[in-house]
Amino acid sequence: MASTELLSERSLPPRPRAPHAGPLAGRIELLLELVRRDVKSRYRGSLLGVAWTLLNPLIFMIVYSVIFGKFLKVHYPGGSATVFILSGLLAWTFFSQALTVATNSIVGNAALVRKVAFPWVLLSVSSVVAALINYAISLLLLIPFMLLAHKGIGLPILAVPLLVAVTFALSLGLGLMLAAGNVYLRDLTYLVTLGTMIWFYITPIIYPWSLVQSKFAGHGLEGQAAQFVLYANPMTWVVLGFQDVFVFDRWPQHWHGLGYSLVVSLLSIWLGLRVFRRLRRRFAEEV
Amino acid sequence: MANLAIQIKNVSKRFRVYHQRNTSLKQALVDRQRGRFEEFWAVSDVSVDVPEGESLGIIGENGSGKSTLLKCVAGILIQDKGTIAVQGRLASLLEVGAGFHPDFTGRENIYLNGAILGLPRRYITTILDDIVSFAELEQFIDNPVKTYSSGMYMRLGFAIAVNLDPDIMLIDEVLAVGDEAFQRRCMERINAIRAEGRTLVFVSHALESVRAICDRCLWLDHGAARMLGGVDSVLAAYLAEVDRREAAELEVTEIAEVDTSPGRMGVRITAIDFSGPDGPTTVLNTGDPLTISVGYAAPEPLRGARFSITFLRGDGAPILTVPTDDLETGDAALPREGVVRLALPGVPFLEGFYSVTVDITEIATGQHYKRLERVRPFRVHSADHREVGMALLGHSWELPQVTSRVARR
Repeated sequence: MASTELLSERSLPPRPRAPHAGPLAGRIELLLELVRRDVKSRYRGSLLGVAWTLLNPLIFMIVYSVIFGKFLKVHYPGGSATVFILSGLLAWTFFSQALTVATNSIVGNAALVRKVAFPWVLLSVSSVVAALINYAISLLLLIPFMLLAHKGIGLPILAVPLLVAVTFALSLGLGLMLAAGNVYLRDLTYLVTLGTMIWFYITPIIYPWSLVQSKFAGHGLEGQAAQFVLYANPMTWVVLGFQDVFVFDRWPQHWHGLGYSLVVSLLSIWLGLRVFRRLRRRFAEEV
Repeated sequence: MANLAIQIKNVSKRFRVYHQRNTSLKQALVDRQRGRFEEFWAVSDVSVDVPEGESLGIIGENGSGKSTLLKCVAGILIQDKGTIAVQGRLASLLEVGAGFHPDFTGRENIYLNGAILGLPRRYITTILDDIVSFAELEQFIDNPVKTYSSGMYMRLGFAIAVNLDPDIMLIDEVLAVGDEAFQRRCMERINAIRAEGRTLVFVSHALESVRAICDRCLWLDHGAARMLGGVDSVLAAYLAEVDRREAAELEVTEIAEVDTSPGRMGVRITAIDFSGPDGPTTVLNTGDPLTISVGYAAPEPLRGARFSITFLRGDGAPILTVPTDDLETGDAALPREGVVRLALPGVPFLEGFYSVTVDITEIATGQHYKRLERVRPFRVHSADHREVGMALLGHSWELPQVTSRVARR
């Protein structure tokens, strides 16, 4: 009896317990916080802030449209080189930026990974989500050029979320693998830069699909190989879909291709999660 | 019996030590592996149960696996063998302010850090003022943390962490934060957390904090559990072992050279010699006669100089300073070279390590001519003595008259 009295005397008035979000709600909350950090830290301390997000694709678009449209006299269907290039370029910028930041998402947060146990995968996810937000902002760039080219937009715009979702899923899946792999092999950072550069040229962004299609036949093995590469590239069908919507104001025409891209992107997420889960066991030691 | 909060069963953790680490692709392809490495067991076969509401301390030398074990419990590292079962919500405080973003304000970092540690945003909003005032950062909370001093940074990190309110808290060597007042408040908070019946695992080199916070203690030695038991008995055994190791080291070292460089006015200390019952020595028994000789040299005869010898404990705390003032040598001129001797009829110190600080001072100005701090470490053994503590004081006991002896069979 005496000991219980002593105990109650010593113990403080009970503080209310801190609420604990469930595992899923907690993860969503943390993801939002990390995205907020990634987005904010991108714009803080830079003079032009959000403008960079618009400026970068704008400058590349101008360069490409001058070189290909003016000097090389490439004929862009739909009548507007700017809208044509921009519709694919913006999606591509999202994709390549997502891969780049995701690759660095674990290594770049080494201090955190070494010292705090939390679902590290959210670091990678948030970096891709932050890239998605940048993409959403960069879409504003299309408005003036579409107005300039007298482009309207109708119901097909409803296909945009699907196209974005496929791009997001593909970059997330690859990003998870790269993020985990980069902990063990730091060269991946450079490989990603090189890889996305090459990948850019095997995606019909700055050249019209109709132009390359006409070259596949009659070029023997080379033509077949080129055809295979472009068909196998899941980004091909996504970019064509964006061009359909923004340039031609029509629903995406290559549904088979898009279906293929969707399957590839879902597979990449599945594989990415597996690879990540496998490799994360020794993150804190190796990072 | 209370429920177990943490059950660590035969846990081992292996690390790779890279001799040549291949993080570049070229090397990886050439060598067909990522570097040459050796493996070693940072933690090997450790088992310990922590009942709910207990505070367990983990001690050991650097590299003994304390932090590794704690990281395994936290889930940052994954053990290679064995199992760890955790019952309840766990928060680990391995580094305060891990994940702070330098460009963000204190306020923004509270939300970010809180989320990383598992606190919902809405809840943080309700305790924000508490955190800010606990960290004493009211005026700076909207400045970027990169402008903070390291003390402010640590205080903010700790203030967030103590608000986590977990069932089980893992703390690694982070209490040495801020000034004394802040440390005291941290200890108060930790004791409050304990009083609420939370479980605590505490890794530290600061044995006194371990003693203050913990009920039981685990001593790790080269990754293996050396001893597990009540905090007092484990700390005593650990200290005895540290002593033994240091003694082994001391007893083989040669008597070190004294720094004989000239001090103020060119005064030098040329030698400090310890002489025990059997000649020069650094190891003595309590009660042994000891003579300390200090040789000096000066360009001019030394006038108005005071010699003093201070005895210090192994940790540097002074015990006794013996100056020559009591000889009233104030005006005497000492020869340019000579030896002063201090004789102790019997060394009063008990088991442990000691050293001396020797200085020669100008009495008129109080300025040192020359001072040698914590030189001549020596070891005292006192196996024959039953007294406990640092030094003997002359004493005698008186008991009441013994009326009868306890009958013994």
